[in-house]
Amino acid sequence: MKLFVPSPGHIDSLKELLTQKEKIYSIFMAGSPDYIGTGRSNLASPQLEDIAAQTEYAHKNGVKMELVLNSSCMGGRQLTPEGYRINHWYIKKLVDIGIDSIVVADPYLVETISRDFDVDVVVSVLAFVDSPQKAEFFEDLGASSIVIDSNVNRHFDVLHAIRDSVDCELKLLVNEGCLYRCPFRYAHFNFFSHAFGPEPRPNVLDDYYYLKCLELRVENPELIIKSPWIRPEDIKLYKDITDVYKIGGRTHFVDWILNCVNAYHNESYEGNLMDLLDCPKDLKDLFYISNKSLDGVLEKQWKNCKKVCNKCGYCRTLTKKVAQVYTKGGTEQEALAPWETFSVKA
Amino acid sequence: MMTEELLKNRAEFEEKLRKLIGRPVLLIELDLFALPCGCAGITANMRGLEVDDLDVFEPQILPLVKEMAANLGVKPTVTFARLVPGSSIVASLNWRTLCLRCYPEFARGEGKMPRPDLYMLMFERKK
Repeated sequence: MKLFVPSPGHIDSLKELLTQKEKIYSIFMAGSPDYIGTGRSNLASPQLEDIAAQTEYAHKNGVKMELVLNSSCMGGRQLTPEGYRINHWYIKKLVDIGIDSIVVADPYLVETISRDFDVDVVVSVLAFVDSPQKAEFFEDLGASSIVIDSNVNRHFDVLHAIRDSVDCELKLLVNEGCLYRCPFRYAHFNFFSHAFGPEPRPNVLDDYYYLKCLELRVENPELIIKSPWIRPEDIKLYKDITDVYKIGGRTHFVDWILNCVNAYHNESYEGNLMDLLDCPKDLKDLFYISNKSLDGVLEKQWKNCKKVCNKCGYCRTLTKKVAQVYTKGGTEQEALAPWETFSVKA
Repeated sequence: MMTEELLKNRAEFEEKLRKLIGRPVLLIELDLFALPCGCAGITANMRGLEVDDLDVFEPQILPLVKEMAANLGVKPTVTFARLVPGSSIVASLNWRTLCLRCYPEFARGEGKMPRPDLYMLMFERKK
């Protein structure tokens, strides 16, 4: 198994992560938001010297280094002469540093980087590759690896069709807890791309997409169950598609990341499923869903699910069975109660 | 005080809101704050609380809000919910003892929503 593991972006976190280097194939982290930016929030903005030092440290420890430049919207700047020049300058510096791979979402960057530089180009999950046709398109542009749109993580027919259509490496993002077919996805990642990209950055008080996403799931945790995460125990069902897995979570503490690394490396986790999900981390103090209570569900139900929820009801019933809510959290009386205890809308 | 009281009040307020509105809302962070202008108070950052809940349950929520302020020794001039404008989202509940500079800003506002992001629960006008 090749595990791609997130780093918050500074050398101290990298050193801590690599205490478990035998479980890690590659580290990935964002670069400086002053150039291309990323489609997710960042804790650090490492400059080229920091990236060089961290890459050297990773390589010394036998671990690869991947830079994530997966802005989903650059406002067309990438197509201007100045944008082209700046992006090329930055990517050349990264390649000279010895970065092993660069993750991008924009098809133009996939083509231009693969043509002009000797570096592996990875198609980001934010390029939404959810069909064999899109996968072929990106492979033809020069992609050496594709992170498949996590929306199809439980569509085994699509995953197999993609596998059969391309020769490049395929990666699965295993612990993204985003809404299945999330209606906020494009708008939210575009917002992040500007908020964590070059100036001018929007001065936003509240992230509507994040708060609305949480509101929906607080009201209905069935949406958490339906999210297309892959449990550590279920990795074995994907082995004829790929052996390359990406753990999301570069805004978490290293301890949280290593907990995920161990879970996926061991293909087993005793505890709250919410501990492993990158987003929504706020809800881990609200819901307890025993990871082990979901043993066998992917194989028996979701692998062949037609996704016509109003005619099925399986996930609704499952949620009532497995979702528990923390009560009196943070006090000596903290306890768990079935979600239904509180829900008049169930 | 202080941390034990905050933890206890966070849990109790959350519990009472859940029982009232029939949904497991989350009080994700309860803060006591002081601002450089002289305002001070409490902020309860909420997840899953909606504007409709305030509309429907305001008479029942008000005693809970007053109880929280009393428990934490805050005498708020104004208590309001902060909304994400144009949406159903209640981002936080706020109890604020206003300073002399900020009081007029609130006092001049009218109605339940003097600003698109504010939903007024209580306001103590000076006599």
